[in-house]
Amino acid sequence: MKIGLERRKVISGYVFILPWMLGFLAFLVYPLIMSFYMSMRKMTSVSGMEMKYIGWDNYTRAVLKDVNFIPLFYAAIRNAFIEIPLILVFSFFMAMLLNHQVIGRAFFRAAFFLPVVIGSGFVMEQLLGQGVGSLQTLATDPSVTSAGVTNGLQIPDAIARYLSPEMYGNLSDILGRLTLIFWKTGIQILLFLAGLQGISESLYESAKCDGATPWEMFWKITFPLMTPVLLLNAVFTLVDSFTDIRNQVILYVKQVAFTNIEMGYASALGWIYFVFVFLLIVLIFAFTRKRVVYMGM
Amino acid sequence: MQTAIKALSVRWKRCPLVYRIKHWQAGYRLYRLFIYLFLIGLSFVFLYPFLFMVTTSVKSVNDLIDPTVHWIPKTFEIKSYMNAYALLHFLPYFKNTVIMTVCSVLGQLISCALVGYGFARFKFPGREVLFGLAMFTMIVPPQTIIIPLFVEYKELGWINTYLPMIVPSFFAHGLRGALFVFIFRQFFRGLPVELEDAARVDGCGAFKTFFRIVVPVVTPPLLVTAILSTVWHWNDFFEPAIYIVDRSKFTLPMMLPLLGESMNKATGGTVTSNIDQSTIMAACMLVILPIVIMYFEVQRYFMKSIERAGIVG
Repeated sequence: MKIGLERRKVISGYVFILPWMLGFLAFLVYPLIMSFYMSMRKMTSVSGMEMKYIGWDNYTRAVLKDVNFIPLFYAAIRNAFIEIPLILVFSFFMAMLLNHQVIGRAFFRAAFFLPVVIGSGFVMEQLLGQGVGSLQTLATDPSVTSAGVTNGLQIPDAIARYLSPEMYGNLSDILGRLTLIFWKTGIQILLFLAGLQGISESLYESAKCDGATPWEMFWKITFPLMTPVLLLNAVFTLVDSFTDIRNQVILYVKQVAFTNIEMGYASALGWIYFVFVFLLIVLIFAFTRKRVVYMGM
Repeated sequence: MQTAIKALSVRWKRCPLVYRIKHWQAGYRLYRLFIYLFLIGLSFVFLYPFLFMVTTSVKSVNDLIDPTVHWIPKTFEIKSYMNAYALLHFLPYFKNTVIMTVCSVLGQLISCALVGYGFARFKFPGREVLFGLAMFTMIVPPQTIIIPLFVEYKELGWINTYLPMIVPSFFAHGLRGALFVFIFRQFFRGLPVELEDAARVDGCGAFKTFFRIVVPVVTPPLLVTAILSTVWHWNDFFEPAIYIVDRSKFTLPMMLPLLGESMNKATGGTVTSNIDQSTIMAACMLVILPIVIMYFEVQRYFMKSIERAGIVG
């Protein structure tokens, strides 16, 4: 049997991505459908996993009856909207700085990535519990924040003396939040750096010959060429922020599912959450479609 | 000429002050000084949790109480490391974590490279849609599907094993598998296709080409994936905490919240779970030490690879 080159290429393409497709069906499509199926049902017997169809009741319960869900959801969204722009701007700025020829660049790069190595798991929880960063979570009671003594960004005593206790509290609260946000920027700084490295030096040289100022070069060369990375980072940060283990909604869903054992209701909550994140990302893509510049496309 | 200079100076006036200072000869030194101060200050903020852990873990009980001791302890004690080592039951749990991490990382390396190559090099119907779906998996919060997955794994008999973490890795899923597929695809797209074409003309099949020609040059994305995947799997707490019930199969990070409990057992339950801070920090250090060492070892290559991996197409 003879197969043409084109056909063969098509077949090998499918063979290469076959593992992903199988995984996609087994570990994503199937559970997604199942969770939607469960979200329409109520568990009647825990041991036998028996369920009864109740239609959209779980969804209306989440939106209309549950006193916990909507406030937590709102808090998570608010946090994300404060956090994401800050993370993006800060990591972009840091990447610009680290892209310069500075002495000890390797050290600084390693230092900025270190929180990712130690902080992506339970160790950071322990550290925060010990008072590092002065906040346990971004949305817990304010008594914790004022009790925090040790902090990455601290107000020097010389300045603190002239501030009213109230202002001091507010300021250290803001600084504590900033510290926590900074620790999350490792990956983003890295991706931005990679992007900056990818911009050809000759573009800047020719711009300089034409008498462009650094400010103009930033807005007309660097920024447009960085928009794809910016988009990637925005999506990554958004997903990261919404799926963080410290995220209150996630903790709530986990509690409903595994402590209260209300699998159906937890699935419904998960679905509401998922649809919201999905819509946000669709919005981001729709909004940036015309603004993102791709080289050589 | 005059007008040109004038136009230039008008444009310079539109520049923010920082740039103008930087442009000016003496100002440049000032600017450099400021940059270094800024970088050093900020790197302190980033190194802070690590430094805190290191110094607290070597403090003695007296140093912990002493308010004059902040960064440098008066006596260095490794006792808390001994304590933490014993309380964590380090070796067996270390072995567990290594098994889980190594298997998952290997799986992701192999499968994500293959899949990324497939998406980058072959034109087949529905490629864009499928790639879009692959990226879509990144945005599904694991919590949405964790319950049916749990049921699925239970039926397969995988509960209490590492298979729920390992098997999806071999299918280019697992922890942030989609991101790795993306990284590999971007790298392969930037790779010149001529070499592979030459191999194909010489009669190499697609798979032979992949393993003989492509894999040897693929180190940058492999390294990036290996490091990120190792770090995330090692620290992962969410998935193992759900799928692993048996105490003897826990991973190291899962042992941290149980420190107090094993302290109780060690003292016969007479002392309530009052472990001192330095022991907790020493335990944290022990948990992350393997990956921190690994990170410092490969850090230099890692940064170079990030630059070469061409993540930005």
